[in-house]
Amino acid sequence: MRLEKKRRITRWLIVLALFALVAASCSSDDGGSEDLTPVKLQLQWFTQAQFAGYFAAVDQGFYEDVGLDVEILEGGVDIVPATVLDSGAADFAISWVPRGLVPREEGLNITNIAQVFQRSATLQVSFADSGIGGVGDLAGRTVGNWGFGNEFELLAGLRSAGLDPASDVELVQQQFDMLALISGDIDAAQAMIYNEYAQVLETVNPDTGELYQPSDLSIIDWNDVGTAMLQDAIWADADKLESDDAYRETAVKFVEASIRGWAFCRDEFDKCAEIVLAAGPTLGESHQRWQLNEINNLIWPSPQGAGTMDTALWDQTVTIATSEGILNAAPTDGAYVSDIVAEALANLTADGVDVTGSDWSPKTIELNAGGE
Amino acid sequence: MIIKALRGFAPALAFGIGGLLLWELALLIIQPEGFVLPAPSAILIAFFDDFQVILTASKNTGFIVVTGLVGGVALGVVWALLVSRFRIANETLTPLAISLNAIPIIALAPIFNAWYGLLSPVSNQAIVVILVFFPVFINTTKGLTEVDATEIELMRSYAASSWQITKTVRIPNAMPFFFTALKIASSLAVIGAIVAEYFGGRQDALGPLIVQNAGLTRYTEAWAAVLAGSIMGILLYLVSGAFERVSMPWRTATETAGA
Repeated sequence: MRLEKKRRITRWLIVLALFALVAASCSSDDGGSEDLTPVKLQLQWFTQAQFAGYFAAVDQGFYEDVGLDVEILEGGVDIVPATVLDSGAADFAISWVPRGLVPREEGLNITNIAQVFQRSATLQVSFADSGIGGVGDLAGRTVGNWGFGNEFELLAGLRSAGLDPASDVELVQQQFDMLALISGDIDAAQAMIYNEYAQVLETVNPDTGELYQPSDLSIIDWNDVGTAMLQDAIWADADKLESDDAYRETAVKFVEASIRGWAFCRDEFDKCAEIVLAAGPTLGESHQRWQLNEINNLIWPSPQGAGTMDTALWDQTVTIATSEGILNAAPTDGAYVSDIVAEALANLTADGVDVTGSDWSPKTIELNAGGE
Repeated sequence: MIIKALRGFAPALAFGIGGLLLWELALLIIQPEGFVLPAPSAILIAFFDDFQVILTASKNTGFIVVTGLVGGVALGVVWALLVSRFRIANETLTPLAISLNAIPIIALAPIFNAWYGLLSPVSNQAIVVILVFFPVFINTTKGLTEVDATEIELMRSYAASSWQITKTVRIPNAMPFFFTALKIASSLAVIGAIVAEYFGGRQDALGPLIVQNAGLTRYTEAWAAVLAGSIMGILLYLVSGAFERVSMPWRTATETAGA
């Protein structure tokens, strides 16, 4: 009898302990001051200069000036920004356009409110002595790609050259690094011009003892091939935009302050690089400076104002998506909206902020080994 | 005999079909927003829509599963025989096996890719071998060593050699243990092969199919690939069961007599 009672008490204690554990982990943290609206931004990838504008806007108080307290959520391999946004765990998300359109077709009602990157940054990189000059040369070679929705430009590019991705090339699941290319496992690797491409240039060439040079590499740029698709954009919850006026107002303020952050990163390059480094990225200073330079090159100049949708590229993106079978049909109306960014740009222009960056020209950044 | 077999399966079948119907109805009634958990009917439709792709992927993954399973089982059995026969082997090989088992497999996958090459099947087969080896080794060793002492004494009284004792007493004793381990190992092999595929390699395999569709919120397609993996695991389990029946006829006889 005594043992029975002891067991019962133990069991209840365990239940209580578990309950307390769950309750503690569920408690919301009260971060931010009273008058500011708390906002969560879900990034598409790990902290790096790719998202410099948002970090700068936080650091320079641009969000605070418009009454927002923004918390930036780092992304990762298994984090899908569209689902984080749709579930309400974030208020806005950064995502590539195809990676936002597919979930949208699956039923997640999200919308593109600002097309931040005006051009695609995806490359297919190979060594210059591999003989891969253009897309056609990929026939019969091992071609790496990351999957997860990053491979569509490559697949469309292969088809545009008359190659069948399933049989004319050997597609390989590539890790998010360039080791497979450097070790010779694959002939052509997927790389972002602002990230993995630089990783090769930060590696020592065993033949020369020096860092790899751009002349050692041969690149295929999907912008040139004509199968580029739109990338980083700010996405919002479409249902909320319609039903919640406060959320829409927050969206305008968020876009406004974010673009101001990007303008800051264009005009105050060194300070912006410092801000990114302070946010704790994995790769070092020279890598982040390279990345910031390339990112600026994707945003500026923006003749219609940063964040405005380039309808020609949008149509190209949609055409590729539907012909590749990524989307079953063209996206319904409302996949992107222009009013929010238009309002934000009007506010910024009235405030004297340069939103077109017509004077922008890329810098020359020197890379150090390992990206340090 | 067929009716008898069917009667044996009936409760399991009813439970399974009942569960699926419940799932389907629950979704129809609740209608959760978006994509959370697709209905079994949607998964089946996706399975047949993508059948060619899933079939090719299953063949590629299945090759790794089967070859890795065979390799891991062979390694485990040989190791177990050595350990049960030689005390020195027991003192050296058993701790080694335990340490090997303690290494997190997820950490090994990218390392093997670097060693054997991204496209080489060896890197994935090695993961399966390591996963499969330990349960087979431990269980077979137990079966080979925990033998009734009187049986060993009887054999010794016949002046039987070590090998004869092993062949006539230890191995038959170990068979039930071995087959238990084989059934565990077959599902581990499927899991190991799929997870190893997450870390790079060919894309026409079940692992990338699952994880990439999930990454694009195409959960119906992801579940269809998961279904293929489950079918593979179940098939292997059934094959193990068949091997068990064939190799231990004395067991089957007593079972049916008692049932």
